[in-house]
Amino acid sequence: MPSPRFQFHRFGTRLLALLLGLLFVVLATTYALVARASRANAQDHAAQNLAVAAGIFDRTVQQRIEFLAASASLMTGDFTIKRFFLQAERPDFDTLSSTLESYTERVDSTVIVLLAHDEARTLLANSDQAMNHENLEPFRYLSRLAAERDEPVVHGFSYLNGQLSVLVVVPLYAPRPKIAAWFGLTFPIDRAFAEDLKRTTRIEVTFVSTDDPAQPRVLATTLPEAAAAHSAIAARQSLGQTAPFLLDLPALSPDSPATALANADLSAAATERYVTLFKRQPMLGENAMTIVLQRPLRPELAAARELQKHLLWISLAAFALATVFAFWISRGVSRPVLQLAAHTHHIAAGDYARRIEETRADELGQLARAFNRMSAGLAERDRIRDLLDKNVSPEVAAQLLRDGATLGGEEREVTILFADLRGFTTLSEKFAPRDVLNLLNRYLDRMSAEIEKNGGVIDKFIGDAIMALFGAPVAQGDAADRALAAALAMERALAELNRELAAEGKMPLALGIGINTARVVAGNIGSHRRLNYSVIGDGVNVAARLQALTRTPEYRTNIITSAATVAALRQKSAPGILPVFSAHGQEARATSIRPLGSVHVKGRAEPVEIFAVEPAV
Amino acid sequence: MLPRPHLGGAAIISFLLALAFGRLGAADVMFKITDVKNAPVVDAVVALYPLDAPLPPATPTAPVEIEQRNTEFNPFVTALRVGSAAQLPNHESRIEHHVYSSSPAKPFEFPLYKPGKSETVVFDKPGVVVLGCNIHDWMLAYVVVLETPWFATTAADGTAKIAGLAPGRWRAEVWHPRLKDAANAGLAVAEKREFTLAADAVAPVQTFNLKLEPDRRIRRSPTLRGAGYK
Repeated sequence: MPSPRFQFHRFGTRLLALLLGLLFVVLATTYALVARASRANAQDHAAQNLAVAAGIFDRTVQQRIEFLAASASLMTGDFTIKRFFLQAERPDFDTLSSTLESYTERVDSTVIVLLAHDEARTLLANSDQAMNHENLEPFRYLSRLAAERDEPVVHGFSYLNGQLSVLVVVPLYAPRPKIAAWFGLTFPIDRAFAEDLKRTTRIEVTFVSTDDPAQPRVLATTLPEAAAAHSAIAARQSLGQTAPFLLDLPALSPDSPATALANADLSAAATERYVTLFKRQPMLGENAMTIVLQRPLRPELAAARELQKHLLWISLAAFALATVFAFWISRGVSRPVLQLAAHTHHIAAGDYARRIEETRADELGQLARAFNRMSAGLAERDRIRDLLDKNVSPEVAAQLLRDGATLGGEEREVTILFADLRGFTTLSEKFAPRDVLNLLNRYLDRMSAEIEKNGGVIDKFIGDAIMALFGAPVAQGDAADRALAAALAMERALAELNRELAAEGKMPLALGIGINTARVVAGNIGSHRRLNYSVIGDGVNVAARLQALTRTPEYRTNIITSAATVAALRQKSAPGILPVFSAHGQEARATSIRPLGSVHVKGRAEPVEIFAVEPAV
Repeated sequence: MLPRPHLGGAAIISFLLALAFGRLGAADVMFKITDVKNAPVVDAVVALYPLDAPLPPATPTAPVEIEQRNTEFNPFVTALRVGSAAQLPNHESRIEHHVYSSSPAKPFEFPLYKPGKSETVVFDKPGVVVLGCNIHDWMLAYVVVLETPWFATTAADGTAKIAGLAPGRWRAEVWHPRLKDAANAGLAVAEKREFTLAADAVAPVQTFNLKLEPDRRIRRSPTLRGAGYK
């Protein structure tokens, strides 16, 4: 059995484990939920920023378009331009081209072209001589669209000499609605434009042409080359993607060599995670271009990380507190329980006087009180048992404790031993009562000891007489044998006492013992208030009469027993002699039984056959 | 704007033609021009071309007047026979104008002339000439230069009458500024129809139902309309 201390330690450990476990589950769940929520929040936030950036891109382009359209409108209304179309002879288009060149400076348009309002949209004038008939198709397309829709401004995205550009076409009215020519203006969507957008929105912008599936082309970007190349590949692979998603890009510094490019192994290189949004931008008469808007996730997560760090500290503090708390509780439980356990040890050892402190109000306090009450009850019982043992024989006391002190009895066969001190009345007269009592007690003490040694029960002392029972209250199979052995032992004990008395210069004592076996009623006899365990029956009187017969000189014996007792003897191998008798470890003694004939006993009709009991010679 | 049928010259010529053909009983034809909603269309130019006889030679006529008043041209639409002249008087109190045309039929400009002055321009090619002012973008007028002497412009009730026509086959052409691409394509967009004029019979009314574009003229700036700043 494990020691109690270990048990309570285990209780404390379990409590600690339970508390910490619960706390861990709660905190871990909270932590995980917070982490997930803040991550989702960061992504949402980034995605919103991207959507805003997409809107800002549109708005910026729109504003540039409006600015160019307004500029164009002012230019076309200008006398300088218009007068070229008011002359009857062929206009001087070289001069007009020069005029347009200076206009490009004024309105910050990369190129301004002038197309005739004819079927072919013939090129009339051009600010940039590099622009020829071939690469003016987007302008022509737009001017036809404008004529078709009768709209004063049309615009669109296209490649102009390979450069991604926004084209604006405005009619030259002379006067409206008479169209004299078409004005084409443009501004580039280049790195400067992307950087400008990034300054406003703090978002990385990459323009990607996905015309060639094998080789998506980065048109302009704010990202380092390698990262932009990765974005371009992603844009090619997910053309239909319209929702924001996460994309890992190589985290190379802007001046890193471009060799570690598109197909670089991202797992090996350091990466930066970007929330990415693709925006498809329709192009004039061509496949749509993709605008990649990206925002690194890390800065968005910074606030969340801070929160998580705080949460971690709070968790640790909670753990520490929970540990202390668990120890405190387990100690609060285990100490009183240990006290109780120690107390049970004391009680087991028979120490009922100790009491536990009853300071607590809880269940343990109740338990302590119960323990104390139990101790008190045990002490009380012990005391009663002690008293009982002294007043009645231990067997009777045990029987009383077992069955309770109830009136009534049972019929059973019992061997009754009656011993009486001869000449005690004379003795009482000669000596002082105190001396008599001392002597009597000494005598009774020795006799009682011999009776009890042989399993007899002192029923009562009647002055100097002793009444003892064998076979009650506990049945004994060899009650008669025990009674005879007890009688002989008493005789020897008296001889011993007499030697002592002789040494003291006192008179010797003599006794007579009568033994009878009969069926009697054994039980508690008396009133409800006071009762004795005893036996009632004719056999008891016979025993007393047999004791009286020992005074008869011709019998020459101190011990007389009846035929009933002899018949009840277990040891009867040889007539008249009990060769061996053993009881309670005493040495075997042979006993001789000598018939004395039959006598009439007072109160009985039948004569009783009696025997003298003597030690075998 | 008052409808101004230009019948003076045409009437005389038709009279002379009638004499030449030996028939004095010339006919009149009424035109009724409506849009798709059957509303009368003003400022539509109706021109008739004889299919059985050549056009009479052009003879100079008295110049028509297209004035500038209150920063508007008046009239809005003027039809005239090729070779005729138009006077462009500035009837403003203070403002100068810079009247021009970029139309291939008659490109011209009269840079900045003061109130009280007038310029004259001769329209020597048939076609639609769009007049503008380089100072006032909203100022707009149409001069329809026709080869035929038989033409009229519809009044506010959408009607026009051409008188003194000989019996026979005719082609009617109706042009209006709000026909699609009318300013750029000119007379090519005119609605055309042939009909025969019987002798001594009452000619039926020629009705035309035109599909017109919305009026896209530039709005005048509020200050010049006298509204002032508010």
